[in-house]
Amino acid sequence: MVLQVTVIVAFAALGISFWVLQIVQHAKYQEMAENNHQRTLALRAPRGILFDRHGKVLVENRHSFTISILREHSKDLDQTARLLAKVAGLDLKEVQEIIERHRGEPSYRPIVVVEDATLAQVAAITARRLDFELPDVRVEEVPARKYPEQLAAHLFGYVGQVSDAQVASNPDLKSGDIAGQSGIEKIYNADLKGADGARVVVVNSMGREISVLQEDRPTEGKRMQLTIDYDVQRATEQAFNAVSEAGLTNAGAAVVLDPRTGEVLAFTSRPTYDPNAFAAGIDRSTWASLNSDEQRPLNNRATQGRYSPGSTFKMAVGLAGLEEDVIDPNFHVHCGGGANFYGRFFKCWKKGGHGSVDLKTAIAQSCDVYFYTVANMLGVDRINKWATLLGLGVKSGIDLPNEVTGLVPSTKWKQEVRREKWYAGETISVGIGQGAVSVTPVSMAVYMATIANGGTRVTPHLVKAMDDGKGEGWKAVPGPPPQSKFDITPEKLQAIRDGMWMVVNGSGTGGRARVAGKDIAGKTGTAQVISNQGRAAARGKRDLRDNGWFAFFAPRDNPQIAGIVFLEHGMHGPNAASVAHHILDTFFAKQDGRPLPPAPKPEELRFDFSDSAGDSGPRDYPDPPAIPADDAGPVEPQREIALLERPVAPGRAATMPAR
Amino acid sequence: MFERRLYFHVDWAMLGAILALCLIGVVQIYSATGGSSLYVTQMYGIAIGLVALVVCLTIDYRSLADKSHFIYLGVIALLVFVLFFGVVRGGSRRWIDLGSFNLQPSEFAKAAIALALAKYFGESRRGAVVPSDLVIAGAITFVPFLVIYQQPDLGTAATLLPIVFIVAFAAGMPMRIFGILALVGLMAAPIAWKFALKDYQKERVSTFLDPEADARGAGYQQLQARITTGSGGPWGKGFQKGTQGQLRFLPVAHNDFIFSAFAEEHGFAGVFVALGLYLFVILRAIESAQLAKDRLGAYLVLGVLASFTFQVLYNIMMSAGLAPVKGLTLPLMSYGGSSMIATLAGFGLILNVRMRRFTN
Repeated sequence: MVLQVTVIVAFAALGISFWVLQIVQHAKYQEMAENNHQRTLALRAPRGILFDRHGKVLVENRHSFTISILREHSKDLDQTARLLAKVAGLDLKEVQEIIERHRGEPSYRPIVVVEDATLAQVAAITARRLDFELPDVRVEEVPARKYPEQLAAHLFGYVGQVSDAQVASNPDLKSGDIAGQSGIEKIYNADLKGADGARVVVVNSMGREISVLQEDRPTEGKRMQLTIDYDVQRATEQAFNAVSEAGLTNAGAAVVLDPRTGEVLAFTSRPTYDPNAFAAGIDRSTWASLNSDEQRPLNNRATQGRYSPGSTFKMAVGLAGLEEDVIDPNFHVHCGGGANFYGRFFKCWKKGGHGSVDLKTAIAQSCDVYFYTVANMLGVDRINKWATLLGLGVKSGIDLPNEVTGLVPSTKWKQEVRREKWYAGETISVGIGQGAVSVTPVSMAVYMATIANGGTRVTPHLVKAMDDGKGEGWKAVPGPPPQSKFDITPEKLQAIRDGMWMVVNGSGTGGRARVAGKDIAGKTGTAQVISNQGRAAARGKRDLRDNGWFAFFAPRDNPQIAGIVFLEHGMHGPNAASVAHHILDTFFAKQDGRPLPPAPKPEELRFDFSDSAGDSGPRDYPDPPAIPADDAGPVEPQREIALLERPVAPGRAATMPAR
Repeated sequence: MFERRLYFHVDWAMLGAILALCLIGVVQIYSATGGSSLYVTQMYGIAIGLVALVVCLTIDYRSLADKSHFIYLGVIALLVFVLFFGVVRGGSRRWIDLGSFNLQPSEFAKAAIALALAKYFGESRRGAVVPSDLVIAGAITFVPFLVIYQQPDLGTAATLLPIVFIVAFAAGMPMRIFGILALVGLMAAPIAWKFALKDYQKERVSTFLDPEADARGAGYQQLQARITTGSGGPWGKGFQKGTQGQLRFLPVAHNDFIFSAFAEEHGFAGVFVALGLYLFVILRAIESAQLAKDRLGAYLVLGVLASFTFQVLYNIMMSAGLAPVKGLTLPLMSYGGSSMIATLAGFGLILNVRMRRFTN
């Protein structure tokens, strides 16, 4: 009896144990079993494809492989790291660092060790996986960004793994996501990124996938039709390539707009970089070299560079004079090679002087004395008012990240920022776009568009239409409203336009931009980066060559294109005009159905390397004279260099290399 | 030797339950090994085991008991032979290579010891068990225990101990001696921990006490056993649908952990049936011991039953993750020819005793 009872009790105890496990705690063990054999893999969504305004693919996706470690399958993480480093030819230290960085994350989240692995790495690891040597290492095929041509790198921007800070500030992002880090990729990341999918797979105890339980396909990001015209963009890049090949300069920017809408037709910043290098994780050395490069290739000069506009500013002064009724188009000034203001002598770039000039001629010949005079008559605040209405000294509002604001000085600005009174003498150099004036290339493009369209300060923008892939096709994205609008009196506008037309088509300084039959209007600018005094001190330490500008729109009547070409240390405005010529020529050739002009050869652009005064704006910024005793205002501090006094945000490369 | 009328005294009900368990085992092996031929091998094992059962049934257990010292010495000889010439697998030397299959003599040691102990106590003329009896019985058990322990196979060696305890208990060993032995065992535990247990054995014990502390190492199997069983739920995941066993999260799902795999695929319902069958077989066997016409028969039944019951209970506890992982199979269900043959032969002896309860 004892034995029977003992056995029955023992079996009852077993029965109860199984009842507890299988009935009472079933849910818990069910979940644990599922965690064991079910693996949810994120399927990265392909980012939306970018097209140009005519449907040409600008940015697409390609297949790439990532290699990651699944810690929950790791028996010995160190061993895995060692073997993985050996098999894939990686630096063990780096692998360990990567693991260390992600140690705090939940263990089911794979740690990406190699982005964009080579086929050799993939083959080597797959072989080891089959041998069960690396059961915790996964090779995945994921879409990566592909930028087929070296084109508008700063416009598209680049993608990269999100930083911890980005994850913290944006609930839509999670660690390991790829997100746009600059340019369109960043601004439109929410549209472009799509929705990641997920695949639930059954794995065995070796981590090998046995079958797929469930799969949610990823949703591709929205397709975007940009306002960019591929051919105009390519022409812009070709012309800048020629500038570099000629040895003139590697740095510069160009922005080309449709003045009627603000649509950006072409956009470049130089030097450029290869966004493909970022597409699947940039390697350390490339990143380091991009960041340590003195020319700062990652810097978007078109929206983040501030430069003295030089003579291209003269239209703003002229228009301010006209609109404030300080002058009329027939207002004449005698230029004898310079003039005295407030006891100081301000030189004209042309030693012998221009003689008696009216507004049109003054623009065409870029006469400094004329605009010194007009500026002096206007005063700085009225110049500020009209320059602002034309788009200078304010943000353009373009849909790109981190645009900076230029500066058109005013008495209020000086009082607020410098806590000093504005001296009338300072207005003189503002009249020719020197002194405290600084502009971004994109704001110069808006300035040209505003003059071209008669007073509407359009907002440059990049997206024409989007297609969310739901089968409804392209949906137009309405352009942003203009920043401001005023009606320039037609005959006053015509005077400015005629002057600019003469710059290109008359005896002016921008003849190289001429396109037969197209009535190009433009204006060169050659802006000093340093005063003559400073030049002596800084000689040999940095590039002191002048910056070259060419601002343009065309055709003169009923303009369809407006823009700016900026050559950093491009020496002369006319050099920029040569670049603009290729852009304009291509634009009109395409419009007329002519064959597009071939990429210009460096020698065809006839760059002017001479150090002597050319046919453009002020070559020699006047050295500050001794302060006259009878100066009306308080003693003006020595203004050594125009440029050095410009507010330059730390970390931004304007014309100033590392300080 | 075999009289026709004995046929009617065979315990068909128990035999039926035994065969049912064997069948469940075969089906589960088939499921766990994904259609490999192991289940066929197991059926051969059952067939040979049934032949052994018939042989053990046919020969009167008293004649067998008379030869028990030869059987005992023969098994000891085989065990010693294994120790020197056996096949090594998984770090231990347990098998004799017979070409087409491997023989595991330690499985047969159980029946041999049961037979030898039954004979020793059964023929004792004294009414009570005296200390010298315990010493001799202990020696009979300890020799094969030591040899098997050397293989090393602590699990199988441990299954020998219940035989001597139960037989001695049935023969009238006072309870206080069990108490003393238990006390000595408790006191010896730290010493055994320090000197006798090998590292992997210590690890298993400490892992048992806290399996989740080492979920990737030694605690893995125990935790997986619990998950496997628990995830089966009331009705199970279905034949060949068990994820834990099928995807190899649970090791040796056709062998040591066959009951976990069974519990996963057939749930608490299946467990209830299987436990019921085992309980029925054991209770019927105890009844056989009570019905036995002599002490020899009763002791023989209890001796065979003791190691069987111990192994069944331990393995099922282990399957539910309730006992440290040991290389102990589940008799009648687990894959393994030697175990099947030895177990069925043992049941041959039990049936033998019951069948001959009326004969002289």
